[in-house]
Amino acid sequence: MRHPTLALVVLVALAVVGLPDGVHAQKSFKVGAIVPVSGPAAAFGLGVQRGLELAAEDVGVFTVAGEKYKLEVVTYDTVYAPDKTVAAINRAVYNDNVKYGVIIGAGVHPPILPIIRETGFLDFAFAAAGRQITNPENPTAFRIMASSDQLYQTYAVAIAEKLGGKRIAFLGPNDELGKNDAKAIKAEVEKLKAKGVSFVGDEYYERGARDFGPALLRLIAQKPDIIDTDGSPTGSIALIAKQARELGYNGYFVNSTAVLEAKAISDIAGKAGENIIALRIWANPPTKLYTELAERHQKKYGEAAPGTLWETYGAARWLVDTIVKADTFDTKKVADALAGSTYAAHPFGAASWGGEKAYGIKRQIIMPIPAAILKNGKWEPFDVRSGKFE
Amino acid sequence: MDVYLHLIAQGLAIGLLTGVLYVLIALGLTLIYGILHIVNFAHGEIYMLGAMGVFYCYVVFKLPFAATLVVILLLSLLLGLGVERAFFRSLRGQWLQLVVASVGLSLIIQSLGWIAFGIQEKNVPSFFTGVVAFGGVRLPTERLIAAAVGVVLVALLYALVYRTKVGLAMRAIEEDEETARMLGIDADRVAALACAVGFALAALAGAFVAPIYSLNPGMGLEAILMSFLIIIVGGLGSITGTVLAGLLVGVLQSVGGVLLGAEAAYGLVFIVMIVVLVVRPAGLLGKA
Amino acid sequence: MKRGLLGLLIAALALLPPLGKPYVLHVVIVVLINVVYAQALYVIMRMGYLSFGHAGYIALGGYTSALLATKLAITPWIGFLAGGIVAGVFAWALGAVTLKLRGIYFSLSVFAFAEVVNAAFRAFEVFGGPAGIAGVPRPALLGTRLNTHLQFYYVVLAVALVSLFFLYRLQWTRFGFTLLALRTRETERLAESLGINAARYKTLAFVVSCFFCGLMGAVHVHYLRFVSPFVFTFFLSNDLMIYVMVGGLGSYWGPMLGAVLLTGLGEQLFAAGYYKSLVYAVVLLVVILALPGGLISLPRILRRGGARERVLPVAADVAAARER
Repeated sequence: MRHPTLALVVLVALAVVGLPDGVHAQKSFKVGAIVPVSGPAAAFGLGVQRGLELAAEDVGVFTVAGEKYKLEVVTYDTVYAPDKTVAAINRAVYNDNVKYGVIIGAGVHPPILPIIRETGFLDFAFAAAGRQITNPENPTAFRIMASSDQLYQTYAVAIAEKLGGKRIAFLGPNDELGKNDAKAIKAEVEKLKAKGVSFVGDEYYERGARDFGPALLRLIAQKPDIIDTDGSPTGSIALIAKQARELGYNGYFVNSTAVLEAKAISDIAGKAGENIIALRIWANPPTKLYTELAERHQKKYGEAAPGTLWETYGAARWLVDTIVKADTFDTKKVADALAGSTYAAHPFGAASWGGEKAYGIKRQIIMPIPAAILKNGKWEPFDVRSGKFE
Repeated sequence: MDVYLHLIAQGLAIGLLTGVLYVLIALGLTLIYGILHIVNFAHGEIYMLGAMGVFYCYVVFKLPFAATLVVILLLSLLLGLGVERAFFRSLRGQWLQLVVASVGLSLIIQSLGWIAFGIQEKNVPSFFTGVVAFGGVRLPTERLIAAAVGVVLVALLYALVYRTKVGLAMRAIEEDEETARMLGIDADRVAALACAVGFALAALAGAFVAPIYSLNPGMGLEAILMSFLIIIVGGLGSITGTVLAGLLVGVLQSVGGVLLGAEAAYGLVFIVMIVVLVVRPAGLLGKA
Repeated sequence: MKRGLLGLLIAALALLPPLGKPYVLHVVIVVLINVVYAQALYVIMRMGYLSFGHAGYIALGGYTSALLATKLAITPWIGFLAGGIVAGVFAWALGAVTLKLRGIYFSLSVFAFAEVVNAAFRAFEVFGGPAGIAGVPRPALLGTRLNTHLQFYYVVLAVALVSLFFLYRLQWTRFGFTLLALRTRETERLAESLGINAARYKTLAFVVSCFFCGLMGAVHVHYLRFVSPFVFTFFLSNDLMIYVMVGGLGSYWGPMLGAVLLTGLGEQLFAAGYYKSLVYAVVLLVVILALPGGLISLPRILRRGGARERVLPVAADVAAARER
């Protein structure tokens, strides 16, 4: 090699700039999946990716401003890290001309919100924490899952009353989700003070921890009858239940994560997994579309569908509908049109947008939120009247 | 007050049991460093492979448990021998390259693990369910058994290193390799053996801990971080140090959690780590 | 040839913004940041100290500037410097304790420190807790906030060029050469016997290294306009070490090469998920086993017809093996 240094420089330049994209035959409407598809949070991201893919299949070819388009899913792996999410949105918006996308993570939104505001990117956000993303400064950010505030305002009081619980405790992950939700549940329990219900303690565990002994010991000593485990994932809630029962706890657990496998819980925790109340879990399918999507996912990908699948599918179909009606891809116009519309064919039932009172802007999805309870290793519907969220 | 005492007793008991588990997890790392002076970053991933091995052999292929253990033991020994031959031997003496190579190895195993084993959490059904209660303290049976296994393995390791000829050879090459070679000890073979045993310890730790918690390909990271914490406190290369540190950390977390809350207990462990680093940087029983 | 190439490169970087889309600017910004991190780490790595916790100093610098800007409305121009200084001070304090240790003990102790820093930022609300600090402002110049990629790019470029120039010149001073002499315990004792106060040199090197990490960390945070305990993690420390090792320890240009190549590679593999870490790891292992001198030694080896060479003298490596 005559000029190895030069070759090295060329290699480096290629690495940085990359190779040019190919040319597509059919015009694509690109939707980004800015989600973790590797690492511990991969299940959520894969649900989004596949939800978009299934939606693309069903939408087929649609017409906007006289041209035909197909929905194309572009995935950007964020590994749920802030800097990778920043890289992803930069690439999506500035390189790939992607103006719409589903983005997972409250923890990774802050650095990308300025870019979303500046470019008008239409963000379908999966993030439980409410106020930061959903506020009047971000008119193109829509939350397509139930927010924590919404869940607690809708259910906390109702569940406590139904179970006759008097002592409520909280065990959540040691991050902004856990800290936020502890405050939220405290606020809700305050409303029941007159009825003798009290909040007896909050503890936090490190995400990914397997030993909840230290946190549980202290909490159980306060003799709670309901322990809210916030958005703890399947593995965590199963271990929490198992270890808590080993320490003598006989009460209920409440959980609000959308990805919760009954079989995995009963495998890991056995009988200890009974009496876990899961919000956002459907014991019985709410619509035919729901079941159909579950079956298609199983067939196409060989495993059970992660919870984010249905919400993503619903949002994607709604979006394309809106775009076709508005006959434009302009994100600001589409955002306005979307916010004012309702959608009857969401996999969970009828959907609309709300949250004006809580957040100051209607960008929170309002759709049926189920509750289920784990009995005999299976989810059964947990019948509890729900409050109102505005 | 009585309630408090009872809680602390419970915390202490659980803490000791958990501590033994931590010791079990860190043991392989200590051995490999003690004899070969290599920090095996892939340690956590071998632990993960051991746990996954139990899942596939016992749950998927339905082998009897004893056979599962034998399979895991053999495979990890072979893997240890192989890795030593392929990577560690050619880099002997260059500690920097060794560290980096083991980091690379751990990354490869982890990535392959995610690809091969998938993202769903897996679970190995508990071998022993139920709780043993005495004196008002509740101890999960399976943890007791795992702790017992841990104690046995520590004892076996002591026996190997301090009571056998092979162990003597290991200590010899750790002390002064050149002289040992001159005295006719096949240092390469001994090193390979030490590496194999270290890997086997890591895999067995994974196998016995697996039913207590659940499994996913990322579990190696927690294992290696915990192992690092333990060897920082106890001292690299000292088996006794590892035992002490493991128990200490387990008890601190548990009793600290009862008294101060889990977050503060977590911080307490870190503070102990800093104190040890400042006062005795090589670890409580480490050889600096 | 080298100088000409360098001049060309700098000119290209300076003229890039009007010609490049914001995405390319983003990539080059990230590359420049990683290059400075890697070169800063290199200062102590060529002295024989491997750090697993440099992310901790980067975090210290970043948080300092973020806090100053958001809580005290202090301009980032001062914040950058403050970040570097805070990191340097912590390095000086920690160095007093840990630089006595060699080899893996040092590495683990800085790792422990970085984890403590992270845990502290997570635990206390004053630092923003797990959610971190959002809305960190960009610096303002002559009345305008440098909010666009193009505007901030020049800030990053300027800081990077100054830092890299300083670090480059440092190598060729008596101080820089003395650091090389401190690579192993043996050579360090030898140096001391010649009257060199090894501890002082090592501490100063550590402080310099961490100063630039803190400085660039502050710039990094103002680029993201955000900082949280999840931004500067152990994975970053790991990556930096990989950049330096893959690039090569034997030359100043090595870590830079490693940083550029692997950061660029990482950006290209944006959708590859697990396969990306697999590629990183394979590249790392191949280089370690086949090219101990790192990629930067490749041109030299090819010119010599493929002779295998060690990165630094063999005797020093054998001596290093006796470290415990």
